[in-house]
Amino acid sequence: MQYLLRTNWWKWACAILLIYVVIAGLLMPTPRLPILNETIRVLHFHVPMWFGMLFLFMGSVIHAIKYLSSGKQINDTMSQSLATVGVFFGILGMVTGMFWATFTWGEPWSSDPKQNASAIGLLIYFAYFILRGSIQDEQQRSKISAVYNIFAFAAIIPLLFILPRLTDSLHPGNGGNPGFNSYDLDSRLRTVFYPAVIGWTLLGFWIASIRIKLQNINHQLDD
Amino acid sequence: MDQVIALVKKDLQVDWRNRYPVAGLILYIIVLVIIGYLSFANFIEPEVWNALFWTILLFTSVNAIAKSFIQEDDRSLYYFFTAKPIAIILAKLVYHCVYQLILLAIALMAFSLFLGGPTGNLPLFYLNLIVGSLGLSSAFTLISALASKTNNQSIMMAILGFPVIIPVLILAISNSKMVILGGGWADISTNFIALVSVNMIIIALTFILFPFTWKS
Repeated sequence: MQYLLRTNWWKWACAILLIYVVIAGLLMPTPRLPILNETIRVLHFHVPMWFGMLFLFMGSVIHAIKYLSSGKQINDTMSQSLATVGVFFGILGMVTGMFWATFTWGEPWSSDPKQNASAIGLLIYFAYFILRGSIQDEQQRSKISAVYNIFAFAAIIPLLFILPRLTDSLHPGNGGNPGFNSYDLDSRLRTVFYPAVIGWTLLGFWIASIRIKLQNINHQLDD
Repeated sequence: MDQVIALVKKDLQVDWRNRYPVAGLILYIIVLVIIGYLSFANFIEPEVWNALFWTILLFTSVNAIAKSFIQEDDRSLYYFFTAKPIAIILAKLVYHCVYQLILLAIALMAFSLFLGGPTGNLPLFYLNLIVGSLGLSSAFTLISALASKTNNQSIMMAILGFPVIIPVLILAISNSKMVILGGGWADISTNFIALVSVNMIIIALTFILFPFTWKS
């Protein structure tokens, strides 16, 4: 994160990738599939939100660990900002997913294991913000919330990666539904999907870096 | 090791001297079971039995463990100079596991009396029950250490603890349902191994992270 705060080239990369993703994602030809039809384009907007959320949470945990080992306030600021943007991405992922599900599964919420798991995952991180709010002492707050952040990430991993695999899911690629690999034979979706994942993730870090700078300035003004 | 034994003994003595928290918890379990019994009008499907049992277990264990670090508030400075954090957390974990198992036995007895006992492969049911409730007690131990530092401890305990505990709970409940409906080891082995490994992660993290919450 320190490196990202100092350099700018990745912001250009992010902007170029996202312009490409929005244009190509909406205009490029896609495989014709029953039920999915044109909604398959949601792949470039919904799935990268979850990838972005995970990378942001991962960054948040890394900075929480750094805070616990070094005790520098900047690491706590970074950890908190990355978690905030991660939650924002998670909400966007959930909203786009529910919007898509209305047209393919027939209803926005169908108790799909992945839907339930991601809702619980977001609850865990909402609790993280409540925890931050309920401790007055600054150093205590940073320390306790870093501990909870690490614990929460450890709970998210089985929640998102192990539990949905144990039961059938309605999601493409699970429970006998055809996945990405089986219909994207000419790799047309991939040429947009991978840039989309990188682009949206970089956008998340961009927003987080602005928040970090803002909070640093507020900190200095307070002192 | 001496420190751990001394701390466990101290917790036992504290609970033995003012017996009303333990008595309160036992009453809490019985009241919950009777409410369940009355609201389901004495007939209950195995799946509902299972869900109700785990729900009651969850609420009992969160209430049992919530007080553990909160009651230490006035003593924590003394511990800080006399005991290692590892010893403190080990003592708490051991004590809570035993405590949880006793409450579990009471809950199971009350349940069998009013709503009927578990069916299916009983040793497997108990094994899954014990592993699941150890997961509950160890996760809530760390959460209780965190919650004791905040302003409104009892609410924080619930909102921090419940979402984090859900992986353990989902695995344990689905195993237990499978066993009650007549499944064997082959049906639950993958879930059971996942449950054990999630427990391992929780306990390992508790050991690593607890000293940081203590040093403040």
